[in-house]
This record gives sequence, C-alpha cells and structure tokens, in this order.
Amino acid sequence: MNAKQIHKFVVSYLESKECHLIEKSPSSVTVKLSPDADRALSGRPYYWSFVDRTGTPPETMTYRWSFEQPDASGPTNASPVSYVMTESGRVIQEDVYFGSRRLLQLFDVVQQAGRCATLFEEPPRGRLDPLRSEPYTAWLGANLRVGFECDMKKEELYCWGISLATGVIDEKFMDKLRYRKMTPRLPSNVHLLKNGLSLRRGMNQLETHLERKLKSADFGWAVEAEARRQDELERIRLYYEPMLETMTHPDQREQRETLAARFRQRQSEIDWQYRPRVSVTVVNCGIFHLPGID
Amino acid sequence: MQIPSPSPSGPFDPYPPSEPNAAAGGANELYPPSDLPPKPPADAAPRKLHPLVEMRVDRSAFEELERRAERNGPWDDWALYQLSLEAEQANLVTDFHALRCLSLLPRFEPMPHQIDTARRVLHEMRGRAILADEVGLGKTIEAGLVLKEYLIRGLVKKALVLVPASLVLQWVRELNGKFDIPAVAQRKAYSWDNDIVVASMDTAKREPHRRTLLDGEYDLIIVDEAHKLKNKRTGNYQFINELRKKYCLLLTATPVQNDMSELYNLITLLKPGQLGGEGDFAANFVADRRRPKNEDQLQEALGQVMIRNRRSDGGVEFTKRLVTNVPLRLSPDEMALYEGVTDYVRKHAYGENGDMASMLSLVTLQREVCSSRDAVFLTLINLFKKTTEDSPLRARIWELVELIKRIKANTKAEKTMELVRDIGDKTIVFTEYRATQEYLLKFFKEHGLTAVPYRGGMNRGKKDWMMDLFRNRAQVMIATEAGGEGINLQFCHHVVNFDLPWNPMRVEQRIGRVHRLGQTEDVRIFNLCTLGTIEEHIVHLLHEKINMFELVIGELDEIISQFEKSESIERRLAQFVLETEDGEELRKKIDGLGDSLLETKSRLHRESRP
Repeated sequence: MNAKQIHKFVVSYLESKECHLIEKSPSSVTVKLSPDADRALSGRPYYWSFVDRTGTPPETMTYRWSFEQPDASGPTNASPVSYVMTESGRVIQEDVYFGSRRLLQLFDVVQQAGRCATLFEEPPRGRLDPLRSEPYTAWLGANLRVGFECDMKKEELYCWGISLATGVIDEKFMDKLRYRKMTPRLPSNVHLLKNGLSLRRGMNQLETHLERKLKSADFGWAVEAEARRQDELERIRLYYEPMLETMTHPDQREQRETLAARFRQRQSEIDWQYRPRVSVTVVNCGIFHLPGID
Repeated sequence: MQIPSPSPSGPFDPYPPSEPNAAAGGANELYPPSDLPPKPPADAAPRKLHPLVEMRVDRSAFEELERRAERNGPWDDWALYQLSLEAEQANLVTDFHALRCLSLLPRFEPMPHQIDTARRVLHEMRGRAILADEVGLGKTIEAGLVLKEYLIRGLVKKALVLVPASLVLQWVRELNGKFDIPAVAQRKAYSWDNDIVVASMDTAKREPHRRTLLDGEYDLIIVDEAHKLKNKRTGNYQFINELRKKYCLLLTATPVQNDMSELYNLITLLKPGQLGGEGDFAANFVADRRRPKNEDQLQEALGQVMIRNRRSDGGVEFTKRLVTNVPLRLSPDEMALYEGVTDYVRKHAYGENGDMASMLSLVTLQREVCSSRDAVFLTLINLFKKTTEDSPLRARIWELVELIKRIKANTKAEKTMELVRDIGDKTIVFTEYRATQEYLLKFFKEHGLTAVPYRGGMNRGKKDWMMDLFRNRAQVMIATEAGGEGINLQFCHHVVNFDLPWNPMRVEQRIGRVHRLGQTEDVRIFNLCTLGTIEEHIVHLLHEKINMFELVIGELDEIISQFEKSESIERRLAQFVLETEDGEELRKKIDGLGDSLLETKSRLHRESRP
C-alpha cells in the first residue's frame, strides 16, 4: 500500500465512523474522532467505562496522522508519537505508514467491524415505473482467504458470490458490486424473490466449488515440504533410536521414558513445522440483494 | 421442516412487494433455517485436496452471518465491509519467498548481510538456526527480520524471546521501535499471555514461570547470548530443550568458547542429529578439545544450521578509530595528593588482615585519585566513618583530606575544557565516578559550556531525555555509564576518556556507544593520561601494548574471554597495586600482563586463520 492508498483508506474509515475531519491535505489528516472510533482506536477502556458508568459527555481524542514515509536516516529509537497543544486541545501526531502500528490497528478494527453485512442495491432513480415493483434476488457473497502452509506460507484471496435463487457462482462477485450503489435499507418498489438455497447450502456449495478449484492447483510445494519433513524425521530417528536401544537396563527405565517423550515431542514439532496444509478462512461475508435473476 | 430445493434451477416464488420502509432485517424469513440435521462443527472434517494435503475451513464469519440473519442483524457498514477486504488484500502474502517485511520497515534500512541472513534462515534453514555473527554485525536485527517476516505471514503468532536480564528492555525497544513489533517485557505472571514476550532467561526457567512456559507452545523462540546453553546438563539447556517450539533462533557471538562439544550441544538443541550422535561427532569431527577435523564436512553440516558473518567478509564498513593520548602533568598539589594516597594504599594493603572489602576500597582510592579530588574525597570520608574513634588511621586520613583542601584547580578538567573547545563539536566525556561527573558538570557550567549528565541510575525516560538534549541542545555529555542499555550516539564522534576503567571491556563499551554501525565519521578518541601515575601504565597497557582502541570490533571480546578464564584483568591489576612496593615494579608487572595479553591475541589470530 502506498501513501496515497493509505490516505484514502484511513479517510474512508474516518468518514464511515462520522469523525470530524479538521484538516485534510495530501500528506496528512487532522481528525477529531467520533465516540465510536475513539472506543476502537484510542486504547482507553478505563476512560470509556467511566463515561459509560457516569454518563459524562465523552471527550474524544484528536490525531494528526501523517502519511509520508518516515525518514530511514532519522533516529530509530525515537518514539514515532508526539503531540502539540493547539487552541482546541491536544493533537497527537503520528506517522501512519504501511507497517505502522496505527495502520495495523486500523486493519484490525475494520476487519472486526466489516464482517457481516446485508445490503440492497439501490435502483436507479426516476427510471422505474412507480407502480411497478422490481424483483430482487439474494446472493451470498463471501471473501475467502486460502493459506498454503508448511514451514513457509502463501495466500490467495477469492471474492466469490453465489445466487441463493439459482445457485450460480460468480467468481468476480466483489468486482461486480464495486460500482453499484448499495444501501442497508430495502428500497421502495422492490420485491424480494424467495430463495432456493439456504445460506448454509450456499456456503457449502461455495466451499465445494473452492475445493474443486484448489484440487487442480500445483502441489509441488507440498511434495517438497513433505520430503523435508521425512528428512527431518529420519534425522532425529537416527539420533534417538540408537540411544533408546542402549537403555535396556531396568534402572534406566525412567531415563528411557524421558528420552522417548523427548523423541515424540521432536516428532510432533517437525510435523507442526513442515506438514503441508491448506487453510481456508472466511474473511467476511454478506447477503446482497440485487435486481434480476442470474 | 420444509427444505427448499437446492437445485440451481430450483423453483422460486415471487415474493409480494415489501413495505417500502421495511428495515433491512425485515427480510428475515427469506433465509430458511439451516439445513437439518444440526450443523456440523465449525472446523468440519478436513477434506483431502491432495494425498499429502488436507483443507480446513474456518467458517466463523459465516456462522456469525447466520446468527445475525436469525436475529435480524445488526449489520455492518458497507464501507467497512469493503475496507476490510482492502485490508485483507494489502496484507495478503502472495508468494512463498519474498521478504515482505522489508516493505514494512521504512524506519530503517537493514544491511545487505542482515537481509541475506534473514533470507537464508527463512528459506534454507526453515526457521531453525544459530546466528553467530561476530559482535557488532547486528544479530538482533537479523532475528528481528525473521520474526517480523513470520508474523506478517501468519506463521508465528506466539513468540518468546529469552535474553539476559540486562538486555530485556533493549530488546523490547528494538522490536518496538525498529520493527513495529508489539513485544512486551515480562514483568508479572500475566505478561506471559501476551503474544510476543521478552523475558530474562533466569526468570523464565524458575517456577512458577517455568511450568507456565512448558505448558505452552511457541511458534518461535529466540535465545540471545545462547552460548549460555553450551552445557547440556545445565538448567538453561534442559529448559530450552523441553519447550515446545516450531521455529527457534539461537544468537551467540561465540559458538565455541572452550570446547568443540559446546558447539555440538548447541546444534543438538536446535536440531538433534544434525551432527549425528555424540559418539559420531567425537569420532568424525573432533581432533582435540579445541580443534576440529574433517573440517570441510563439518563446515557443511554447520552451514545448514549456523550463519556466521565476519567483519573480514567485507561489506560492513566501520569508520576508523583515531586515538590520541593526551599526556598531562599534575600540579604539585595534585601530585602530592596522588603520592599521599598511593603511600596510604601500600601501607595499609596488608594491615587490614586481608579483609577483601576494605582492600578493594583501597584500590578504588588508588583509581579515584587519578580522576578527581572530589572522587577521592567521598571515599576517604567513607573510610573515615568506618574507623573507630581511636584508630591511628584517622589522623592519616585527615592528612589526605588536608592535601585535598590545598588543591585549587583540576588539571584534567582544564585540559578537557580545552579539548572540547578545540573539538568544537559534539563530545562525550566518560568518567567512572559520580563525584567527578558532578564536578565536571559544575566546572563546565562555570565556564559557559552546556553539558548534560548520563548515568546508569537514571530511569529510561530520563535517559532518553538526556540523549535528546545532547542531540539537540548541548555540546557535551558527561556519562558514567556506557554498558547495558542501548544508548546510541552515532551523531557524535568524539570521545574523551577522562579516566580509564581497568576493565578493557568497559572501555570498549564506551567507544561502542559511538563507534558502531551507522556511524559515518571516523571516531576520535582522547585518553587523558596523567604522567607519573598508574594511569600512565594503564593507558600504556591498553593503547600501546594491545592496541585495543584500534582492534576490530569484537576482537577484544575474544581476547579477553580467552584471557580472563582464570582471573579478570581488573582483579589482577588490583592485585599488582596492593602487592608492589614502588612504581617501577608496578610498571614491570603491568608490562608482563600486557605481554601475555599480546600472546593471547596472536594465538587467536593464528587459530582464526585456517
């Protein structure tokens, strides 16, 4: 993410949380947080529980976030945070760059706050016959992160949707929605068609579809990881087994037990480290009501 | 319950137009309840994608959607939904190999050998490695890069960093400041719950912490100063061996100190069997305790688990150290005090019934007298307090105090003042003594020179503040402490040793504050050296004899750790002071010490050149 993208991301978040943008330049914003955003970002749980218990009007924080890349030649130990006093109070200054704590926190916050949605596409204004009702069908949209993992890892992201009316799967579902106007309210002159699929069935079909797609992927990485795993297992076998074999004396039983336990522990660590696996995570998902039937 | 047909072309009934104002959730009945029988667990039975690979699905977000659908919401904002996806895309790790962490660390630029090391640890050593760079090449940075990369990739969530107690805060600061890694220092039992914890090894291996840690699981364990794990019968070794871990980094500048078996133990801790069984190792690779055989094979086996960058490999350029000794002659009054104290020390060295504590304070006195009258004064007063009312020593001590009173000027302070004026640039002045520090602060202030103090007892905030002041406001910093926690003063390249510690490592630490990676200028070092005193001998020993000021960084470490196996240099010097009768004899003894240091140095040189 470059500075411009971060800028846009942060402003979108602040606007969606109805924060008061005091100043906005290409390289920075100064913002007085809304109570909602303050709760999520300022890290003041005690203050907020005080506000909640006493009913005091909350005083939210003001930040000035600068999006320029910090200078690599600057002091590395200096704190990235500082503040200035202004007429309207204290303004905390921070660098928000890709990798900064603040941006990581924002990522976290939006991932918590943008998990599940139900939305309707707004019909174009004025074009529709006011007496006619437009039929809408429901889609289950799911963004799926796939992790290919052994001692290394890579990820892929699938933004799919399935029509709950017809079971059709759209592999570019988020792209399809990108330029449409969505609203949380059911628009007027719209009626919703009954679903053919339950949510769960829709999800199952998405997963089955994903499974089919992944099966045809290249598993060279997994074969290599497995070879490494076998290698490592063999190496520790050659180390532990001869030792265990020599411990035959009854007095050594306890010692042998300990060593055998250590051997098993090492084996499970190697498994943990190398065993190839694929994990799928639903990042977020929603029900999207769109006009027409696909 | 009627379950709608799942077939893609299944029937649909037109739904009557809704009330125009129906709220979003009003469409609840549209989503039939989940298929029955009851839903499978979140992590349903894994599916096979490939004979070797299973797929597991974390559906928790979807399950939440179902729950909210049943209860009519609440629903998240569309903008946030999209932002969440955007965040996901930004964080996505799209390939196995790239070092993603580099794009996330705009605050500093790792050196090429550090990046290269991180890459090798990740891709060749698969996260289990010994980082054995020579001192000063940035093992901490390398470990930080590896940790950061694993965190970004989601391969590490819980990490444990075990270090000597004195380095805990420094590690936390590096990880926080340089790497934006939210590491915390372990302070209370509940600190262990944090994902990334830095703790002292000594705390961690003690109950009840030990149990807590052994019951846990760590994706990554980093052990700094790992040569403390060289003996497999020690608690440290057993403890690390027992911890459940996926990846593991052991950091040490001296993988072999005494014995080849130390190396074997260290590697076995990391990867049992890498060098075969103990017997195999001895038979295949050990010629005698300190010498390997079949070196090529050994190197190959080592190269799979250990990385050792050397300064001599090039690529890492340190600036030069330019050393000047500043000889000066004490005023007659000062010399009188010096001789008075020396005399006192010799006379009373063995009058104290061999009581070590009081002998050491005598040696301290001898050292202080080379620094400032203020430093001696305090110690004399303390000595005085310890004597009984009728002790004959009291009179002697008062005589010395009288000598102090006669001293009106401090030759060294004046010389320092002159030096600092000539330098005309940021200068750090080191002294061993608080009293000298106070005196110098006062003296400089009287002469219109701003100086800031720095000492070990200051808390972190104050230390940072003093560093800031030095950087931005003051020309001079007067420091009593050099070691331990990271004070990095690369913006300054002049060091004045107002007095010299008798421990060469402490001298090296002083210079290391300034002369380190990131220093762009040659570093000028001035040693004040009062002629005709023991200081002259010490400077001669350190500078002329072993030329320590110009040794490559880290070399001194090795020499000293070899040399001090039996007794520390500091102690030997103290011994000399107490035992010798006159200056000439003392000089000879110190010379002898220098010779044997020199010998150690050349032996190490021979050994490191295969």
